[in-house]
Amino acid sequence: MILTDPRFALLRQLTAFGLFLLIWEAAGRYELINPLFVPSPSRIGASLYELFADGRIWPHLEATFTAALVGLALGIIVGIVLGVVAALVPPIAELVEPVMTLLNAIPRVVLAPLFVIWLGIELASKIALAFILVAVVIFFTVYGGIRQVDRKLVERIVTLGGSRWDLVRHVYLPSVAAWVLGNLKVAVGFAFTGATVGEFVGASRGLGYLLSFAQSTYNAALMFALIFLMMVVVLLIFAAAGRLEKFLLRWQ
Amino acid sequence: MSLVGPSGSGKSSLLRAVIGLQKPLAGTVDPGVKPSEIGMLFQDDALLPWKTARDNVALGLGFRGCAQKSALVQADYWLDRLGLAGFEHRYPRHLSGGQRKRVALAQVLAQMPKLLLMDEPFASLDAIVRARVIQDVASLVEEERISVLLVTHDLEEAISLSDRVYLLSQGPRARITQVYDVPIPRPRDPVKARVHPSFAPLYEKLWNDLSHEVAFDQRAEAAE
Repeated sequence: MILTDPRFALLRQLTAFGLFLLIWEAAGRYELINPLFVPSPSRIGASLYELFADGRIWPHLEATFTAALVGLALGIIVGIVLGVVAALVPPIAELVEPVMTLLNAIPRVVLAPLFVIWLGIELASKIALAFILVAVVIFFTVYGGIRQVDRKLVERIVTLGGSRWDLVRHVYLPSVAAWVLGNLKVAVGFAFTGATVGEFVGASRGLGYLLSFAQSTYNAALMFALIFLMMVVVLLIFAAAGRLEKFLLRWQ
Repeated sequence: MSLVGPSGSGKSSLLRAVIGLQKPLAGTVDPGVKPSEIGMLFQDDALLPWKTARDNVALGLGFRGCAQKSALVQADYWLDRLGLAGFEHRYPRHLSGGQRKRVALAQVLAQMPKLLLMDEPFASLDAIVRARVIQDVASLVEEERISVLLVTHDLEEAISLSDRVYLLSQGPRARITQVYDVPIPRPRDPVKARVHPSFAPLYEKLWNDLSHEVAFDQRAEAAE
């Protein structure tokens, strides 16, 4: 029953994860794995506790969050505006689409060193990287989405006497909202990737900076602790994004 | 009145030209009323999925300059008339096919059109729902004295609903080949109209003429 019933799926997953941690811990204690490379879960937990206990983590969390969330917001706004304009005004599409295609073709994190040179090692370069990662994804979501909008809905608005602005307001923008919300989790992931990689390349604070510091001091426990922390943070944001999506797309 | 004819004869294109969704390749279209007095009911209900039934109905009224509050009152009135009282706040996804069709009808009728274009509007409904929706449509357009131009493949539907049926030849460049007056008196119940003595002979004639058009087209294709 418990092994097959879908209602107990979470319980099964938690049990499996707990077992995995136990085996990992035991392997560490019996020196089956080298703690220099793979520290035991208890050592990682202790590292995480220290980060919060002495309050060191807060300025770093604040820096990463600020960069990721500002980059996310700007990326969504600019991506939507460019996507809508390009889809509705073909001459603009001729200019914007090739640039976006080029940006999409390269691994955009390679721009991180350039942003550090242009904008310095403070917050701006991290925001810029998070922004560019998010804006390209949102642009293609919106641009492609609007071009595939249900023609029947468009004709419905036209036959009811709606203007071009009515079309944008009642058909295109709600469609865009649905597509953007559907891609919000991807965008959140990109925003945190941008912020962290930016900090990794050159920063004075942030989770990426701490990761870089842990790497340079061969502190694997700290690295694991930071990776775990980022996973938890992003999962919490995913949950919030999921709730927002469920509320705003309740008509689906 | 109804337009029937083989597939590809341009029935739907004609309706689209009348309402301005498509420009005719040549000539002009004079529907006899202002564009704002024409309503169109499509085969797909094409309701905005993110708006409730009430908001969907009120939408067109807003386009015509009606204040939001008044538009919502009128939307409630039309939903009530179409038997959808209590469903005002449902989203299209949470309505049945017949209910969605009624909302689409309420959306069009709320604009008080003088000419209603219907492009196979009942094709997607199952038989029982279809009969009931057709009855409602027939009684509403009679009460509101709305002229209707119906495009359909269903000859029974064409005869039971219309005063006159036009048969189109095969396209391209289709033309009207026959006109049939339907001698079934009004007010008329489209379901009961099917047992009127003049129904079966008219159906047979229409069917034979339509079959002739289709066969003619097949012969022309074979000759090519």
